[in-house]
Amino acid sequence: MKQKRVISLFLAAAVGFGVIAGALTSCKDKKEEKRTKLIVGFDAEFPPYGYKNEEGEYVGFDLSLAEEVCKRNGWELVKQPIDWDSKDMELKTGSIDCIWNGFTVTGRESSYTWSTPYVDNSQVTVVLADSGIESLDDLADKVVAVQADSAALAAFESEDATEENKAYAASFKELQQVPNYNTAFLNLESGAVNAICMDYGVAKYEIEARGSKFVMLEKPVSTEQYAVGFLKGNYELRDEVQKTLIEMLDDGTFAQIAKDWELSDSVCLSADDTVLDGSTKKTESFSDKMLRICKQLLKGVGASLLIFALTLIFSLPLGLLIAFGRMSRFKPLSLLMKLYISIVRGTPLMLQLLVVFFGPHFIFGVSTSSEYRFYAVVIGFTLNYAAYFAEIYRSGIQAVPVGQYEAADILGYTRQQRFVRIVFPQMIKNIIPSITNEVITLVKDTSLAFAISYTEMFTLAKQVAAAEATIIPLFVAGVFYYVFNFIVAFVMSAIEKKLEYFR
Amino acid sequence: MDLLEIKGLKKSFGELEVLKGIDLSVAENEVVSILGPSGSGKSTFLRCISMLEKPDEGSMVYCGKQAAHFEGGKMLYAPNSELKEIKSYFGLVFQNFNLFPHYSVLKNLTDAPVHVQKRSKAEVEQEAYALLEKMGLRDKANAYPHQLSGGQQQRVAIARALAMKPKMLFFDEPTSALDPELTAEILKVLRALADEQMTMVIVTHEIGFARSVSDKVIFMDGGVIVEQGAPSDVIDNPSNDRTRAFLKKMEEK
Ligand SMILES: Nc1ncnc2c1ncn2[C@@H]1O[C@H](COP(=O)(O)OP(=O)(O)OP(=O)(O)O)[C@@H](O)[C@H]1O
Ligand SMILES: [Mg+2]
Repeated sequence: MKQKRVISLFLAAAVGFGVIAGALTSCKDKKEEKRTKLIVGFDAEFPPYGYKNEEGEYVGFDLSLAEEVCKRNGWELVKQPIDWDSKDMELKTGSIDCIWNGFTVTGRESSYTWSTPYVDNSQVTVVLADSGIESLDDLADKVVAVQADSAALAAFESEDATEENKAYAASFKELQQVPNYNTAFLNLESGAVNAICMDYGVAKYEIEARGSKFVMLEKPVSTEQYAVGFLKGNYELRDEVQKTLIEMLDDGTFAQIAKDWELSDSVCLSADDTVLDGSTKKTESFSDKMLRICKQLLKGVGASLLIFALTLIFSLPLGLLIAFGRMSRFKPLSLLMKLYISIVRGTPLMLQLLVVFFGPHFIFGVSTSSEYRFYAVVIGFTLNYAAYFAEIYRSGIQAVPVGQYEAADILGYTRQQRFVRIVFPQMIKNIIPSITNEVITLVKDTSLAFAISYTEMFTLAKQVAAAEATIIPLFVAGVFYYVFNFIVAFVMSAIEKKLEYFR
Repeated sequence: MDLLEIKGLKKSFGELEVLKGIDLSVAENEVVSILGPSGSGKSTFLRCISMLEKPDEGSMVYCGKQAAHFEGGKMLYAPNSELKEIKSYFGLVFQNFNLFPHYSVLKNLTDAPVHVQKRSKAEVEQEAYALLEKMGLRDKANAYPHQLSGGQQQRVAIARALAMKPKMLFFDEPTSALDPELTAEILKVLRALADEQMTMVIVTHEIGFARSVSDKVIFMDGGVIVEQGAPSDVIDNPSNDRTRAFLKKMEEK
């Protein structure tokens, strides 16, 4: 009887699974049969190709082209803004169908299946008008910004870079990677970088929008072409889009759209160009690749560890001072500290980092040096963590029974002696679990340094992942954080054990 | 000479007047017990004379030195250096011991003499061992407070107070956190101290102990001293109704 019931239950489960699996496969089949929409991935901060206009809509030359292509094929256009560093993962997971966003072919020929180039663009250099910099030669020992995984970066650092550009790159003090052009221009204006290398079209747009403070150097760093990138091997979709583009070229629609976006000078779509299928990628064994990636990430590990260590060294004592201020009987001081703690705890750490980094320039007009980037990270983290530690100390001190204070007073200890000899050791024991939590959070928070373009472990992992078109670096980064935290937890529990001698 | 002279001590917590003018003098080698119902202000009085609490009015003189007096509508205190000296004249033993949990028994005894009184560590340790010997805790010198029974902890607390070499010791219900057996342990120690002529003020609910060990018994109620005198008068022949009622109630327990 019992056995029968088990069997029927099993059967029911099997049928259930079958139905679900069937539904899933049929769903998938349908999708492959007939396309109803095109999901275009683009970096929403890349005018005039794709960006958010003043009405908050995503617009741009590329999006207009995509719109027209979709209209002609009866597809619905889905505009999907993406984090540029994650573009490959988006494409691989199918959350976007193509990257259509001033996407440079040069250097990436083998990584994607491409349409023919439709824009010819050059990489140019933008500097402050009053900087006196006139050519790339003047940039020796200067800091030059490029967008992470951008064509400008490739023009200086990739295997295909010209010898001349490689020499220039070597002459720079630093080739600083920034997450977006807005950050780049903030950096340029504040003096943290001396020049930005970027696409000609973007540069033209930005300079027009931002005014005469900025100028473009005459000689371009390189010339390059834009095309639509599809997942490697997705010829079917590529061919459909490609065909439609050529139709648009033939009937003049393409030229009209280019004119609307004032890009007539840069378009180059031609029916004669051959398409790139991304089939020439050289193979590399998995372990070699792993080793190479780990080596690349090593520099980031050092940076993360340094941020971590310096933040703790400075914020632990600072937190104690803030806790004293907070508990002071001098009301203005205690209110000030209370306000400080509430602001720090009530706003995002990322915002605080931005304020610490850009604040000196935009509030006080001091020009920011490139070295300051690292100091800003440490200062920002320290100020933030000190506030959290202050509250932990305060609760740890308040948890020491009042009888301990009274016993110390009766025995004649001074206030200082009472704190150092009696209260402090007991406070430490009280707060170890909370401190452990905070320290573990700090390990993970070090990745927020990317907000001001400081290249620590995670930022580097994202850059490498984008450059190599693989998620391995992110996985390695994950392992790193986990191992790091494992060690932290181990050390903290050893300290906790050590303090178990009293209760 | 009187080691302690308290006159007209008053203390309120907000609206609540807890001490309504207490006078007490304690001569050298005298043992004074304070009895009284709960809430009568015994602890508050002891905390005031230990300077953990600031009285609103009254004068306090220790070993002939004036620590505080009431003048021109407020309390005036001796300069800090003098207060420090005065505070070294007395010690206080708490109901719940208040040992330092992070220090070993030995360090609980030696830390203050070494760091507050700046005495030589070797000398202080030698004395501490002698005190522990006397308390029957010689073998616990390296233990931590949480490893001891309540009675042992209280004996360490008494030894800690004695290690400071005070001229007088105050006790606030030193046995009420303890079982009857452990209570006997502590009372034995107090009796031994009395035999050694230690000057003591003891707040206690142990009537039998108070009768046998005290030179003077004080009965407090409602923030005033209702009756005081030799134990044979106050405990055996109380003249006040409230004292009688209190003693009767205690007997019933
Ligand atoms: N810090 C304080 N703030 C406000 N009220 C207090 C404070 N300390 C004591 N009291 C009040 O003062 C009164 C006397 O308290 P006290 O502790 O001196 O009594 P007691 O005689 O020691 O009693 P018990 O025998 O229960 O220990 C009580 O009503 C108590 O609630
Ligand atoms: Mg009491």
